[in-house]
Amino acid sequence: MAALRWRCMEVGCDTVVTAPTDELLVEAVTAHAREAHDSYELEEVILAGAEDGTPDEEKI
Amino acid sequence: MTTFEEIRPVETRFRLDQEIMAGPIYRKYEKAARTVWDPKQLDYEPDAADWERMTEDQRAGIAMITVRFEAGEQEVTDELLPMLAAAHALGRFDWVMYISTFMQEEARHSQFFTLWHARVAGLLTPAEKAAYWPLREHTVDPHGRFKVGEPVYEGLPKYGKQLQNAVDSGDEVAIERAFVQFATLYCAWVEGVLTMPSYEIVIDTTELWDVLPTLRFGFRRILSDEGRHITFGTQSCRILIERNPAYAELVHKVIDEYRGNAVGMLEYQRNVPGLDLDKYQRQKVRHYLNRCREMGLTADDSLVAQILDPEIDFVVGVEAG
Repeated sequence: MAALRWRCMEVGCDTVVTAPTDELLVEAVTAHAREAHDSYELEEVILAGAEDGTPDEEKI
Repeated sequence: MTTFEEIRPVETRFRLDQEIMAGPIYRKYEKAARTVWDPKQLDYEPDAADWERMTEDQRAGIAMITVRFEAGEQEVTDELLPMLAAAHALGRFDWVMYISTFMQEEARHSQFFTLWHARVAGLLTPAEKAAYWPLREHTVDPHGRFKVGEPVYEGLPKYGKQLQNAVDSGDEVAIERAFVQFATLYCAWVEGVLTMPSYEIVIDTTELWDVLPTLRFGFRRILSDEGRHITFGTQSCRILIERNPAYAELVHKVIDEYRGNAVGMLEYQRNVPGLDLDKYQRQKVRHYLNRCREMGLTADDSLVAQILDPEIDFVVGVEAG
């Protein structure tokens, strides 16, 4: 069950990343930013934008 | 006779408690303390060898960004003190602790760029560095709709002075208002949006050209530090806005004052050969929306539309130097 949820703010991208821990969330968001947008999100930015997740959220 | 204990009760002399140490700002202090790096220990020789092999256009494209960073880092190191004074005046000891690391990191970034210019690019004097600095006045909107300002060299000293004056006044509301304005300009807008494309440009191009590994390493370390700076600014603004929602309007006004700096790519960001400038515009929007989310604010849709509008762009009229 995911505990953390992060929504990508790139225009036209509605991806929601969920992960059970801070470390795994940072890893998953970093991979998403690199693969989908040829870019990065900073670790502190990811953690600052993370919210409590819910089990039925879309996952990547 | 008044005793020292009456002047300053012993219990008030202890500032750091378990609640503060469990909070997000104190956590940034701890993380900063764990991740100190030393620019003097880096190996600049590989970059110096690459620099010799690079074309003049490649060197100029990189140097136009790095000289801006060197001066910018020195400027922010020198302009941060009012934020520390305000944190003290507001009685927020975790903010004071964190800002002490923030200031040291800006100084370290200044050191890194000065060393890199000396050891790699052979740029030692202010005049040699200025030769790679296209003036801001040379960036113009051909339709005359937007003005490009100098948020670092004009805005930060202005808002820093206002913050210091508020601290001197002792008026808590005035300090909070001025803190929100200063943190918005410095952390959210300059660090958190306007300079972001420059980091990506340097990292992207040095990877593409397979050159300057130490510069790229330095940029990555600096970005890691900046992540704490940016989110300290936005999280402290959020705390103050939650106390007084009227402060939200101050955030939008400060950003609006330097709106022109975001709607197009600036002179020093567009001289690296072969860049996809649209990519960096889209990313500016993402960074802006991230900042709004962190502050708990609704984004200005008109600003987003203007940043993405391909009809809005700047031209650079005069070469550097």
